[in-house]
Amino acid sequence: MSAKQDTATQTITLQSNDNAMIPVERCVAERSMLIKNMIEDLGDEMITNEPIPIPNVNEPVLKKVIEWCQKHKNDAPQTAEEENDNRKKTTDPIDEWDQKFMQVDQEMLFEIILAANYLDIKALLDVGCKTVANMIKGKSPEEIRKTFNITNDFTPEEEEQIRRENEWAEDR
Amino acid sequence: MEHSAGSSVSTLINGRPPPLTRDDIDMPLNDDHLADHITQHATTASKHAAPPTNLEEFTGIEVLEKDKTHHRLPAEEVERSRSLNSVTNMSSSLIGKTVTPFLKEHIPSIYAPIGKLQNEEAAREKEPNTRYCYRHRPDSKCRRAADEAKMIMIQSELDKLSQADQQAITHVWSLFSAAPARHRQLMLQGVLSQLCFPQLSLVSREVSEALKIDFITALPVELSQKVLCYLDTVSLTKAAQVSRRWRQLADDDAVWVRMCEQHVNRKCTKCGWGLPLLERKKLRNYTRQRQLAKSNANGRIEELDDSYSRSEDQQLAKLKRSADALDGASDSKRRCVNGLVGVAPKEVEPKTRSWKAVYRDRWQVGYNWKYGRCSILTLKGHTNGVTCLQMDDNIVASGSYDATIKIWNVETGEEIRTLRGHQAGIRALQFDDSKLISGSLDNTVKIWNWHTGECISTLRGHTAGVISVHFDAQLLASGSADKSVKIFDFNSKETYCLKGHTDWVNCTRLDVNSRIVMSASDDTTAKMWDLDTKQVIRTFEGHVGHVQQLLLLPAEYEPDEELTMGANGIVDNTDAHSVASGRGGSPSISFGHVDRARISNSPGPDDDVREHYGPAFIDDPSRPLPPRYFLTGGLDSTIRLWDSATGKCLKTMFGHLEGVWSLAGDTIRVISGANDGMVKSWEPRAGVCDATWTGHIGPVTTVCLSDSRMASGGEDSEVRIYSFKDVGGTGDVNTPS
Repeated sequence: MSAKQDTATQTITLQSNDNAMIPVERCVAERSMLIKNMIEDLGDEMITNEPIPIPNVNEPVLKKVIEWCQKHKNDAPQTAEEENDNRKKTTDPIDEWDQKFMQVDQEMLFEIILAANYLDIKALLDVGCKTVANMIKGKSPEEIRKTFNITNDFTPEEEEQIRRENEWAEDR
Repeated sequence: MEHSAGSSVSTLINGRPPPLTRDDIDMPLNDDHLADHITQHATTASKHAAPPTNLEEFTGIEVLEKDKTHHRLPAEEVERSRSLNSVTNMSSSLIGKTVTPFLKEHIPSIYAPIGKLQNEEAAREKEPNTRYCYRHRPDSKCRRAADEAKMIMIQSELDKLSQADQQAITHVWSLFSAAPARHRQLMLQGVLSQLCFPQLSLVSREVSEALKIDFITALPVELSQKVLCYLDTVSLTKAAQVSRRWRQLADDDAVWVRMCEQHVNRKCTKCGWGLPLLERKKLRNYTRQRQLAKSNANGRIEELDDSYSRSEDQQLAKLKRSADALDGASDSKRRCVNGLVGVAPKEVEPKTRSWKAVYRDRWQVGYNWKYGRCSILTLKGHTNGVTCLQMDDNIVASGSYDATIKIWNVETGEEIRTLRGHQAGIRALQFDDSKLISGSLDNTVKIWNWHTGECISTLRGHTAGVISVHFDAQLLASGSADKSVKIFDFNSKETYCLKGHTDWVNCTRLDVNSRIVMSASDDTTAKMWDLDTKQVIRTFEGHVGHVQQLLLLPAEYEPDEELTMGANGIVDNTDAHSVASGRGGSPSISFGHVDRARISNSPGPDDDVREHYGPAFIDDPSRPLPPRYFLTGGLDSTIRLWDSATGKCLKTMFGHLEGVWSLAGDTIRVISGANDGMVKSWEPRAGVCDATWTGHIGPVTTVCLSDSRMASGGEDSEVRIYSFKDVGGTGDVNTPS
């Protein structure tokens, strides 16, 4: 058992796509299923000597992701049951720390979502997607366009037709 | 070239002008050092794989600055301070000579169409160094469209400057524009470090305005859908109006089926909406397919349509197997009838309507329920009080003291048929697709073919009027004024009697799965019986009047946490208790607070709950547990919510002024009819009354419920059908008080 503890606190090195070397505790890095599986495949020895390349993530984003993993390193892994429970998924609000963590510019948020998806960190992906959803919620189409700098590519006729199509959900 | 690059950097640092080493470049001596420096850097960077460190970059720039002041003439210095940010003395020929090679270097496709040296190509592949980061290269998704207003503003500002200034600025821009990503970063860092606070503020404002990403368009489709799945109904319909791409994604079935799963036949805990059930089967099949698709993709979210195209045979086999396992043969048969077995799984469930349309219909019905908008049909035909009702999507069946049962068209309210044969008033009925079973005050139970009106069979056994009938699978339970419950097995023809109540048995409810029957009686109690041992598992005491109705709540029903958590000081009833009588006859559990908390906190492993149902359930761990929660209505004007495991009354619902005769409900709502002439609708989780309906002249003796309708029958001989579907804007619209 003690050997297992040793490996959990062991430091491994991640190499970002811009070649930055980032040392990180193994149990923190293993919040990423991609890295966890990679470590399993490569074996303990390999990873102590060689950095693990993360070719799709740059240094600032990788650091941010690691910061999240650090905070959440003791979280229980999500069970398959929870994953299937759709109700739970949508009703869980984002916790306060995560909310603050996600107060970044849109590019960083975008990169965090892509990185979480690539690194297979489900809980972080959930938080990222919820954050974007919260940016959409309660806004009119025009406000959404403004938030994300989207061009309205509907013709006025189409716009009117689509508005009528979606009228049913309005509080009347 | 490599040599020249190295030497020029070192000379820069030494503060001496670089020597002329290239034929094509006339090395400048002063003002275009910046451009020169960048050119040099570009060359070095493309040669060496490792990026320059920050220290190198900044040293380079500082030296450059020093270099400039050293070599600048006083007149130029004045000129420079007069027009900030412009390099006025730069001659166009000089720029042409320094900028062009730089442009050629970095955007060869435009400026230098002829192929480059082999080794440079190789270096480039090894270290791809383009204007955008890795994400932006393969496609131009993330490239921003030009902001027209801003461009016009820049143009007009530029026009105000002198020709030379215009040229200089344009050159700075084109240099930047041609630079690869890493160089751009370097340039920006250099520029930013020169800015004063007001300029930084400008940058900050501009950046926050410009740094906007169309997430839904730019993210991979499965992630966009994940985001959209977190939206509420209204936001999702707004999202569909944003742009063409958003509409495509926000209207997608994959998103709306999730909305349906969340809201149809259950109350979404987030928004409080529960939508009536409609195409139950369709939803279930669709969900199953999605899960299959999901599990095939190793738990990763997959785009539905894509996943189906792969390994179709395997999926079909899986789908068939699971369908057979879950639904028995009927499911496959139905597919056979539809001629769909053998085609790709994608088409097993033909998409006749979009999930959004399904959801919209349910939403509208839900909306009408919420605001009590409905159209009302009054069915007249019985000559005495109506005592029992049931409806499905096509018909309503009603039984009356006039000894007849009438079948009505639920849409039109037309009377289809009258079943005659009983000698006295009807008190109970239940029908399914083929048969209708009725209980009468003539002491008999009759089984009818309601399609033809023919009485198939008459069961005699009770020695007094039959007040209740309920069948489930092969079993029939009847409750009678003779104080007994009788169970009849259609298959074995076996019949037996459960005795224990001390007064009329008004209601019986079977649960064949767990092999129990529940009964409610005029003796003010409800009982749970074990069909195996024929013994009472538990008696529920609390009502102070006759218990008229008992309603088992569906397995997915969960009461509000408040009710189960121990806020019982306020909502609980100290007079309510129950007696558990296992085989040993002694109460098998205690009702202490600790015990209750433990139960309510651990609903998952049912072992904890199991022990509360006595030895018959403990000894056979495979035996399904009885329905956990049920409601009773009594002539003490109350409706009570019970936990069958603990025997506790979790909630007493007050509101009726006189005795409650009838209850009906699903996970979304419960309705009750009472002697006070009112029909009330309740939110079942919290037990709060949300609507009251009046209209019957006299007591409401029976109520029933379907997805989009409810019906009530009264002593005034009338049946009223309230329809919440397709409610017109005008006309027969009723709003409850």
